[in-house]
Amino acid sequence: MAKEFNVPPVVFPAGGNPGVGVGAAHQRRLPTPPFPPQRFANPSIPFMSFDIGSAAASTSFSAPQFAGNTIGIGSSFEDEPPLLEELGINTRQIWSKTVSIINPFRVNPDLHEDADLSGPFLFLLSFGLFQLLAGKLHFGIILGWVTMAALFLYVVFNMLAGRNGNLDLYRCVSLIGYCMLPMVILSAIALFLPQGGVGILVIAGVFVIWSTRVCTRLLVELASCGDEHRGLIAYACFLIYTLFSLLVIF
Amino acid sequence: MYDSLGAQPGLPRPPPNPQPNPFGNAFVGAGSGLIRGGLGAYGEKILGSSSEYVQSNISRYFSDPQYYFQVNDHYVRNKLKVVLFPFLHRGHWSRITEPVGGRLSYKPPIYDINAPDLYIPLMAFGTYVVLAGISLGLHGKFSPEALNWLFFKGLVGWFLQVSLLKMTLFSLGSGEAPLLDIVAYAGYTFTGMCIAVLGKITWNYSYYFLMPWTCLCMGVFLVKTMKRVLFVEVRSYDSSRHHYLLLFIALAQFPLFLWLCNITVNWLF
Repeated sequence: MAKEFNVPPVVFPAGGNPGVGVGAAHQRRLPTPPFPPQRFANPSIPFMSFDIGSAAASTSFSAPQFAGNTIGIGSSFEDEPPLLEELGINTRQIWSKTVSIINPFRVNPDLHEDADLSGPFLFLLSFGLFQLLAGKLHFGIILGWVTMAALFLYVVFNMLAGRNGNLDLYRCVSLIGYCMLPMVILSAIALFLPQGGVGILVIAGVFVIWSTRVCTRLLVELASCGDEHRGLIAYACFLIYTLFSLLVIF
Repeated sequence: MYDSLGAQPGLPRPPPNPQPNPFGNAFVGAGSGLIRGGLGAYGEKILGSSSEYVQSNISRYFSDPQYYFQVNDHYVRNKLKVVLFPFLHRGHWSRITEPVGGRLSYKPPIYDINAPDLYIPLMAFGTYVVLAGISLGLHGKFSPEALNWLFFKGLVGWFLQVSLLKMTLFSLGSGEAPLLDIVAYAGYTFTGMCIAVLGKITWNYSYYFLMPWTCLCMGVFLVKTMKRVLFVEVRSYDSSRHHYLLLFIALAQFPLFLWLCNITVNWLF
């Protein structure tokens, strides 16, 4: 394999050679690069040569960049935005949205104006984890069912709303995911109740109605229409959350 | 009344440009920057350039699906009554027409109880799947994969019903009814099936009474619908053939109901 980039030579400190005195067979050889390292000889490839010994102490360590990057070598790492912000995961917003779902009687649609998928991802992951604790491996099923349910609700809502239906798929998935919170709580509670008993059925019924109520109100308020179709949309949401509660109960 | 170029049975169509295409806007308004950039690029490429071609071709075979979703609570309740107890429906069974732009087209479902809609069939199908899941669970045989198979079984049943209705229309020489009309009429059978499965869940023996009852009701509904509405389009009037085909439609409901209401893990029966 031909070396295409400059590699600094590995330099061992003198006297640290453990092969001394053991035998000729164990004698280490210093690996020599086929060519000496060129320091700043090629201006199009800003290569920062470094020694192993000084790397640990250096705070402006940056990996060799071969793409002709013109960002300054020492400042590129500090100027980057934090990782979560770059990914678009706003933990404070997720927390406030979560808290707003917990109250089924007062729904605050302004918080959900901004749709995001990281909160739903967390909820679905924890749903899967609680199911895993109950001995059921449902991660793929949950992913598939959420996709189908979101498509179903998207089609039904936009068709019912008619010409001024402006729900887009991203917001639909976001809303369904956030209103999955009662299902997550249900799956946590179901770990402690006997399976197939009356208690779990009653609690599941209440939580499904909670989910449906929150989801319907958010949908109707956010998508700016469909007030006259509230019952019809509520039934669609009810079907979706009953489906997910089946995963928990049985 | 039905022309072969994508019948517009409902409201007058506005100029095509401002009509929102609900399937084309899926990627607009996505949230975070990374997702918006990536999905937006792919979405525009996949849906954007081909949407005009797809729309023009689809409108030739499908009538405007918006028509079938113009429903409200009142319509849904009354339509369910008509579908489940068709012999109690005292009125006529034909659809109301209105002249729209020089052509006669049918009134939308809000104004006409006999107009087909797609909301009830979709919800009935969903209810059937959920109830089938509950039934499986109560017998201890629930698994998500079994429910997925039941979903596909229901889709196959819907397709069989559509093809049954379409074949009877073809054999009479008139295949011009809009496809979505037939899909809607076929989907109404799921309401009866939901009742039968609900009976099976609540009390096991009620199933043996409810299933033939709903089967009969569905048969009567389909016969009356096909007779009044769809056979108007038929060119030749051959009385005995009409009646045999209608009888065949009604009788074919029975095996379909048996197959779909028998909810087991085994897919075929």
